[in-house]
Amino acid sequence: MLLDAYKKMFLIRIAEEQLADYYLKNKIMSLVHFYVGQEAIAVGVCDALHKNDRVMGNHRSHGHYLAKGGDLKKMVCELFGKECGSSHGKGGSMHMIDTSVNFIGSTPILSSAVPLSCGSALEQKYHKSDMITVVFLGDGAFEEGGVYESLNLSTLFKLPLLIVLENNLRSIDTRLWERRSSAHDTKKIVTGFGVQYVKADGNDYLDVVGKVRKLIPEVREGKPALIECMTYRHMAHSGPTFEEETREEDTIEQRKENDSVLKIRQKILDSGITEEEVIAVENNIKKTVTNAIVFAKRAPFPKKESLYTDLYV
Amino acid sequence: MSNRIITYTEAIKEATDQIMDVDHNVVVMGLEVSYKNGADGTTAGLKKKYPHRIIETPQSENAVTGMAVGAAITGLHPIVHHGRVEFALFAADQIFTQAAKWNYMFGGGHPVPVVFRINIGRQWGQGPQHTQALYSLFGNALGIKVVIPSTPSMAKGLLISAVRDKNPVVILEPRWLFSLKQNVSIESYDKPLDKAVVVNEGADVTIVAYGDGLIAAHEALELIGDDVGVDLIDLVSINPIDYETVYKSVKKTGRIITIDTTNHAFSVGSDIISNVAQQKLLHLKNIPISISCPDVPVPTSTILTESYYPTKVDIANTVLRQLGKPTIKHDLTFEEIHTSPNYIIK
Repeated sequence: MLLDAYKKMFLIRIAEEQLADYYLKNKIMSLVHFYVGQEAIAVGVCDALHKNDRVMGNHRSHGHYLAKGGDLKKMVCELFGKECGSSHGKGGSMHMIDTSVNFIGSTPILSSAVPLSCGSALEQKYHKSDMITVVFLGDGAFEEGGVYESLNLSTLFKLPLLIVLENNLRSIDTRLWERRSSAHDTKKIVTGFGVQYVKADGNDYLDVVGKVRKLIPEVREGKPALIECMTYRHMAHSGPTFEEETREEDTIEQRKENDSVLKIRQKILDSGITEEEVIAVENNIKKTVTNAIVFAKRAPFPKKESLYTDLYV
Repeated sequence: MSNRIITYTEAIKEATDQIMDVDHNVVVMGLEVSYKNGADGTTAGLKKKYPHRIIETPQSENAVTGMAVGAAITGLHPIVHHGRVEFALFAADQIFTQAAKWNYMFGGGHPVPVVFRINIGRQWGQGPQHTQALYSLFGNALGIKVVIPSTPSMAKGLLISAVRDKNPVVILEPRWLFSLKQNVSIESYDKPLDKAVVVNEGADVTIVAYGDGLIAAHEALELIGDDVGVDLIDLVSINPIDYETVYKSVKKTGRIITIDTTNHAFSVGSDIISNVAQQKLLHLKNIPISISCPDVPVPTSTILTESYYPTKVDIANTVLRQLGKPTIKHDLTFEEIHTSPNYIIK
């Protein structure tokens, strides 16, 4: 149902915006890459998955984690460096994990999670599971060599792997055209390895969820696929603020006009649900986020001795 | 328990076979691991016995290693084979940054039971880019266990322990030792990953060595004779290092010599000497000595490699000098200098 999708997208949006406030006040001593603007991709992809399907993320994975059902309080605690954080304060924002919902880890070294996700898919195939592995990466990571090696592995070993390429046109600040020749053709690269390629409007929940749903049955059969979702990143690479004049392909007008959260909200209103009902839902979510932040602020820090634990299992 | 003489590579193959037989989640990945003399014989014949578990891979060290790490995180116990350390460096991110940090960065409870078998170091005629002995890189990386089997019997026992361990384990296998033979138990057995072993006891001087350096030290013992007592320590693990065993020995002897078959800077030997020097209670009777290679890459021509690696004569005379005894004159043959040991070691 569309309202459920909106709730998830709104949760990611509002959590990121509130956390961005704290980030600016130096209350969060963990490097944060905010997901604002890209919510339709995480929610669209995860809504098409079975709960036992696995997801891996990257440096910008709050959205992926929450969309897969990761625990909000544990995430916020992790950002505040608290013991009850998802990584007990050792990981921070760039190392999200909640294996209880099969969000099996995120790693900020661009593209590293792609080979790792091949391994997860190999394990699923080895144990004859019907489940798949999904990995999220950005357009910057798509320029790392490990991705091409992994595309080859995925078809060679017929892995149940879905690669989600979130193209927000920027790697840190660099623009796509600065990093690729005009002849660069992502579709040709991907299909050249024998991997299926689909392009989606990453600012449109329905387009993403629809296309992923269509792809998944074949992925489950061991036919890997890549879906490229075109989107805009509303905030800076890390942290919320940036100089608006550096934006050309993704100006504030374009970002607003294509805002996936506003778009789906309008669809809900068009379907007959009243503004008051939507606001009530939003207020509830805001309260949940505020509560999580209050909880995290009060939560205890890890014991100093834990510096030395967990080097080995 | 029945024993027979087998080579270093046969010992690795036997360990792999025995551990695959009991643990059905063990898979082997690498280049040519499915071939008849796969991975220098260390996987020979296993493809026939385990057709789906000996996985031939493309020449993509980064993604293949990452795939093994990802499979380990989710339930398999992969053994990845890298025929040369230089090629394993393509996978540095997956070994040092992903596998090694995984459990720590997620706050514990996230095991990565993967084994990286990496061939390393000296081999005749291989030149600067096929013989790097980058031990210190692996000793410096936190979150991996790193062992160096010096004999066939250690190669077998350490591999079995490595596969059973829940942490990422790097086994650095010196190519120089592949033809070395030993009486090895046919049964499956393990050797502790984090314990150094005193392989010869003596009261006068401690030698700390590993890999091919340990074998050279073994040979040196024969030259030295019984007049001098050498406590010879096979370090076994360089990450972490078993300092308890080292300190215990040095406390007894008051003298320490370390052997590296690579250059001295940031080496295993220099680190051990640094730590020994900081121990007040060891009461050293002489200055510690590090034996190592010159600060240049390994060239190819035999005339240039003639004086590159520490020999049994260098080691024997260093021991004798430590004790103020007359040194030995001994001319080494071409074979002694340039060909790898293929004899039976005790």
